[in-house]
Amino acid sequence: MDNPVAVALTLEDFKILIPHAIVLAVALLTLGYGAIAAPSPGRNAALTVISVFGYLGAIVAALLLTGQPRTAFSGMGALDDMAVFLIVVIAASALLTVFISAQTIPAWDMPLGEYYSLLAFSTLGGMLVASAVDLVMIFVGIELSSLSVFVLAAFAKRRRESIEGALKYFLLSSFATAILIYGMAWTYGVTGATNLNDISLRLATYQDRTAPTLLLAALLLIVGLGFKAAAVPFHMWTPDAYQGAPTPVTAFMSVAPKVTAFAAILRVLVQGLGPLREQWVPLVIVLSVLTMALGNLVAIAQRDVKRMLAYSSIAHTGYMLVGLAAFRQIGGGDESIPSVLFYNFAYAFMNIGAFGVLAWLQLHGKGTTIDDFNGLAVTAWPQAAAMAFFLFSLTGVPPLLGFYAKYFIILAAIEAGYTWLAVVVVLLSAVSAYYYLRVVAAMYFGDPAGAPTPARTRFFGVGLGAMVLSVALFGILSGPVLDLARQWYLAL
Amino acid sequence: MGELTLGHFLTLSALLFVIGMLGVLTRKNILIIFMSIELMLNAVNVSLIAFGRYLDSIAGQIFAIFVITIAAAEAAIGLGLILVLTRRQDSVDVTSVSLLKE
Repeated sequence: MDNPVAVALTLEDFKILIPHAIVLAVALLTLGYGAIAAPSPGRNAALTVISVFGYLGAIVAALLLTGQPRTAFSGMGALDDMAVFLIVVIAASALLTVFISAQTIPAWDMPLGEYYSLLAFSTLGGMLVASAVDLVMIFVGIELSSLSVFVLAAFAKRRRESIEGALKYFLLSSFATAILIYGMAWTYGVTGATNLNDISLRLATYQDRTAPTLLLAALLLIVGLGFKAAAVPFHMWTPDAYQGAPTPVTAFMSVAPKVTAFAAILRVLVQGLGPLREQWVPLVIVLSVLTMALGNLVAIAQRDVKRMLAYSSIAHTGYMLVGLAAFRQIGGGDESIPSVLFYNFAYAFMNIGAFGVLAWLQLHGKGTTIDDFNGLAVTAWPQAAAMAFFLFSLTGVPPLLGFYAKYFIILAAIEAGYTWLAVVVVLLSAVSAYYYLRVVAAMYFGDPAGAPTPARTRFFGVGLGAMVLSVALFGILSGPVLDLARQWYLAL
Repeated sequence: MGELTLGHFLTLSALLFVIGMLGVLTRKNILIIFMSIELMLNAVNVSLIAFGRYLDSIAGQIFAIFVITIAAAEAAIGLGLILVLTRRQDSVDVTSVSLLKE
């Protein structure tokens, strides 16, 4: 071609999109098949099989494509190790959500085909963010992820709380989107690039890194992304949206959009605005302390377990932000970003697990308050044991997955010289033990009268079992998983 | 008459953005809040296109087209949610949306 700026597009480029294409196929197949076939147990089983194998396929494809950092589409996308890691986490959280949805969603008279389709579209959005190296792609991915989740949050449309929660989520999230893209516009205006690697290169040449326009851009980006990750003081939508949504949806939206937000934060702040580290780290520290403190302290006051888990998910955002605050430079020796990646990984299993048991309880005609858990250990010991397992992991009891996640975060904070921040993490984890273990106490020491007797929920059991196994197994295998997360650093 | 410079467009954009932001924060009607968000998105488009013109790069305009596309999708979902809600309560006042509290 004569034109030197012409875009060279080869078939090789599309290789990095294979995991995404599989999830897109899941979205279209479940939507189409769900619309064509008449509702029946057989159709629902087929839809579930499509979803399960789709996500498994996407995970396997992403893992097979690991290796060299492959950039494609003129640098717009890359399937580097961080992308693979986050794609696996997001696809795995969708897979686990399918396990806890397959029986609950049809039981509550909601259309399973559309549900799986929206789930897949949201997953696809997250995966796009994970493998995007360009502001435009990150923006589109975040929006695809959140727009699908708005609809999912309103899925129980007969219940007023579901719609109200979704509307609140929608309005605040759209507000955040506007702030985020205003930040992206300024970043583009100041640096003249939308590609994150270019932005980083140009920022590195600037003498004056405290120019007001640059600070404005960074501030707007942090506020916008903070909203999406549910960091305090931008968390107002979280409790209502989480409580209003059907529980399996809450499980998904407490993990996938958060991981998506962190994927965007890592790409934009670390890969793009890395040279501005000294400017944005103080802000992240403030956010992390506020988020941890408010999330943990308000969770204590909650009688409703679903709402308690919503505040606990805010607290976990705070822990992840501590890891981000410990960021010093891209390259070997810096443990901060691997610790954040590992935390996202750990959080997916234990949080979806806890919400899964809650959904199981609701499926058996119970509510979501602590009293509904009374005596569960007597009538349904496997579910009670699983719940206790997840809650111990969320508290950070060794040797479970959640302990290692917090351990790596604390280690990164100390290495970066923020010992006091590490102390705050430990203290607030101790506080969190109170509200997590209260549920465990209710299950094991509560009055078993009225506790549900388990019906046949074998598929559900497989999902919960897989999560229990993962929480235990990956706790033991935390070293190799962290190594995987660390690789990105050396590859970048 | 002076020439229109980048500064003029950025000021316009910033003003529109702040007006939209104030609208979101102060108004009670869901539809007006929604309109204010759209105003903010379009304020960003003004900035993007002005920057694109100033930097002589096409990326700003392309970004703006993506923003417009997403805004349309957002409008569809937002109006859908508002429709479902009004069917249940005949009002688009956010203060009436108070079932869920701290």
